[in-house]
Amino acid sequence: MIKYTFIRTVWIFIILAIILTINFVILKLAPEFPPTTEDARNIFYARQVTDGYMTVRVEKDPVIIDEIEDDESALCASTKTWCKAEEDSQGNAQYRIYEPIPVGIQFGRYIKNIVTDWNWGYSTRIAVNTPVFDILKQRIPITMRLNLIALVFYIPIGFTLGIIAALFKDRLADNIISLGVMIFISIPSFVVMTMLVMWFAYSLGWFPTQFPADNVVGLNSLKGIFLPVLGLSFLAIAGLTRLTRAELTEVLTSEFLLLARTKGLTKTQAVIRHALRNSMVPLVPSIIFSFVGLLSGSIVIEKIYGIPGTGRVYLNALVPGSYDYNVLLAVTAFYTTIGLFAVLLVDLSYGLVDPRIRMGAKK
Amino acid sequence: MANKNENYNPSKEEFKFVNKEDKIFDKKFETKPVGYFKDAMIRFSKNKTNVVASAILFTLIFLSILVPFISSKNAKYLEEELAFLGPRIPILEKFGIADGTSYREGVPVDPDTYDLETGLALPAGYRPEAIYMDTLENFTVSCNDRSLKCVGGANRLSVDNGSDQTAITSQTFYEFNQASNPYLLIEILEFVNDGTATLEVQVIPEFGGNFETIQTIDSAGTYEIYPYEQYTDLVFPITSKVRLKLNSSTTNNSVSIKRIELYDDTQEDPLISESGYTLSQYNINGDIGGGLFVRENGELTQANFKYDDYKSALGNKRESGLGNVEFTTIMEANPQCEAENIPNDPTNYELPETCPIQKIIKQNEAVVVDGEEYFSYEVIINYQLYAGYESTPYFLFGTDSSGRDLFKLLWIAIRTSLLLGFVAASINITIGIIFGSISGYYGGLTDLLMQRFAEIVGRIPWLVTLSIFMALFGPGIQTLLLILIVSGWIRVASITRTQFYRYKRREYVLASRTLGSKDARLIFRHILPNGIGTIITASILSIPAVIFTESTLSYLGFGIGHGQNFEVFGLSFSGVSVGVLLADSRNYLIEYPHLTIFPAALISILMITFNMFGNALRDAFNPSLRGAEK
Repeated sequence: MIKYTFIRTVWIFIILAIILTINFVILKLAPEFPPTTEDARNIFYARQVTDGYMTVRVEKDPVIIDEIEDDESALCASTKTWCKAEEDSQGNAQYRIYEPIPVGIQFGRYIKNIVTDWNWGYSTRIAVNTPVFDILKQRIPITMRLNLIALVFYIPIGFTLGIIAALFKDRLADNIISLGVMIFISIPSFVVMTMLVMWFAYSLGWFPTQFPADNVVGLNSLKGIFLPVLGLSFLAIAGLTRLTRAELTEVLTSEFLLLARTKGLTKTQAVIRHALRNSMVPLVPSIIFSFVGLLSGSIVIEKIYGIPGTGRVYLNALVPGSYDYNVLLAVTAFYTTIGLFAVLLVDLSYGLVDPRIRMGAKK
Repeated sequence: MANKNENYNPSKEEFKFVNKEDKIFDKKFETKPVGYFKDAMIRFSKNKTNVVASAILFTLIFLSILVPFISSKNAKYLEEELAFLGPRIPILEKFGIADGTSYREGVPVDPDTYDLETGLALPAGYRPEAIYMDTLENFTVSCNDRSLKCVGGANRLSVDNGSDQTAITSQTFYEFNQASNPYLLIEILEFVNDGTATLEVQVIPEFGGNFETIQTIDSAGTYEIYPYEQYTDLVFPITSKVRLKLNSSTTNNSVSIKRIELYDDTQEDPLISESGYTLSQYNINGDIGGGLFVRENGELTQANFKYDDYKSALGNKRESGLGNVEFTTIMEANPQCEAENIPNDPTNYELPETCPIQKIIKQNEAVVVDGEEYFSYEVIINYQLYAGYESTPYFLFGTDSSGRDLFKLLWIAIRTSLLLGFVAASINITIGIIFGSISGYYGGLTDLLMQRFAEIVGRIPWLVTLSIFMALFGPGIQTLLLILIVSGWIRVASITRTQFYRYKRREYVLASRTLGSKDARLIFRHILPNGIGTIITASILSIPAVIFTESTLSYLGFGIGHGQNFEVFGLSFSGVSVGVLLADSRNYLIEYPHLTIFPAALISILMITFNMFGNALRDAFNPSLRGAEK
């Protein structure tokens, strides 16, 4: 078991490293979108140099200066470099040239900066020159709170519906629930959310049409959470109901349940003490995975309902033609890490939930 | 089932041999064998819900191919005049649903159209002929805004926090003619006064001079002010703006002014009368303290009425610059216009009623560019004929913000979504089968490495793939397809791998190998055909999954969009998908809900039926369920 845990953990970290490396290398090789204003650029490039991603040198050679001014310099034409026109103390024209160092070394420095200083780089577009982690720091709690509420909200509903459907298999209740599951698993969440906003917020006016601002407290703040939680939950409820129904029907037809009935337990006792517990085994991992699904699914919800969470930051950083790579790297690292740790948790939880399973054990 | 378990003891006579004489071992079966596909068909058609769902699905697919070809309506170009028309459906319109009309509420009226007989005024900015006059009703609401439509009421003047005086000045010049005994009438409705406030009425008695106070007021009432009582020796008539100056030490004091009027002996009616809106247009003097001058208790007349949007959009319209090139094109396309009868330089010339151009008001001046003469006509066009409709068209789902027919657009969008689904799914299936076959056939280290690779690729969150492809290629069909493919093949690969593990140790494979078959032959001729049914049916479900992702990405603006086109097998397809349509309609959620409801409903039906069809197909082709259905 220890060996298995160790191997899985190492393997997860390998995957994490590979994904983050690919992400970093490709984004750093793509065309650069530095801050737009001169002042912000000065600060940004100076930081790039101190953080070790770029080198800077002063070019005084008149031949090269002429070349740059005639737009003939291949070096300055690249979006990766910045040639800043300056004057030295004597008033002669000179260029300050910022050049990136090889991507491999940049990645090393990036990791080092994160590990030693918790420095995730600086934003280039959405909040110019703000440390990326400061941007995320404010957003992560909003997204996490929303998703945790959705989790707490959907699990009991999904379970109950699934149990009802399984116990009354092929009867009216089951048919209605199964149809509902089919419908909600099929409809894209942006359609569901749009419809919810349209009906409950605009037509009926029960809930606000936008996520309330930070300073709103009390009932209005609670009301603001309701629609996004509902929008997030529909798909999850449908998934959980379907799985619970499938697992429970299988367990209900198994022999040990027949034995339980034979030894004199009532149907309720048999279901609660034996069937439910056994059908729980595949449900735990599915709930952990569904949390990851909720997290990435909330991006659409956040966009529609104007929620200032991590998903919105991601979408803002991904505006075509104005990418904010440092923010993208940090947000994707956040989602990747959570996703992979969920996988690890699932792998390890099999053995805990069901003692019969010895993961990694030799047959 | 139950009666089988009952104890039943047959007597000896009841036993008798069947076909004791005949030898049946080399006779043919009289019933047909139930083959794999027939068995699947039986199981498929058992479930009536799934059959219905599949029928709906195929109708949708059929319509998405058919409608874009047979519908003659515009789904491509901007046609601003026809934007935002509501749905209009034959038959249903007879019941008053989806008849292209809308009920407009609270539209401010145009006071000039007030009709003495009915006592009603028409709403401003709407075409009278499209209003259902029997539904028109007027009502008044209170208003406080400084607009012409807000009539009556008073205006309240008060000082700002921190200043002890403020003043307002009229925009018009008041002319006090000494000979006719003029006086200024000021009606103060209310003067909230703690005892310290005063309102000074000021004019400039001499040209080029300063404002001088002619009356000081400190309570409510109607005041008549004769300026010449003060300036008895003035020779020239006073021509001056009127200024009211409020002195007050606190913001609590305020004065509500009803009207300011100028009277003299020449006529009974006032020469100048300013109240309500005109009074509100008095300027606050910036150099004297600071204060507020706001309207109160104004009345705004609004109208509720039923409006025929189609009639309004398709009626006659004045077009002041119809170019001669377009004019000639219209004339050539419509012989009934009798273009040969149009005189040179036509003015107020009426054309036949069936002609899109109803009347030529005049011909504008010509410009000569490169020897070509360009000029335009000022005309009245009948928009219905101009847009090419002989009778009022039925836009079944209404029109969108650019005046395109939503019905046709929606089917084009569904066609695009379906096509992308099929293309991406077939690429995924191909890659998945090849990867899974190799992995499953060779096993061992190859399998292990390939599985690790698949796991890494499968673990990449879509956010990462999205940001990578966006940064590399920008939004568009290329990015979209790559995102759909990057992790889409993994499921197919794992199903294929399982099938290979199932069949690769079978005897017939061994036999073929003994006969000298190469790996490729074993994979593609022997093992794959056995597993392909399971693989394909399980992969059918990846089509709706792809459509799901595609519409979400397009909705977020990372996929395809208007104005994009892409080609598949030489056919050109529009870049409009359902996600794009729903993203467009996001801004019109309240005013035009039909733009959201129809696409949302259709994509939901498509997804639901596709999933049900996929599930039914998978169950039908699953041999282990044979005979499981009751």
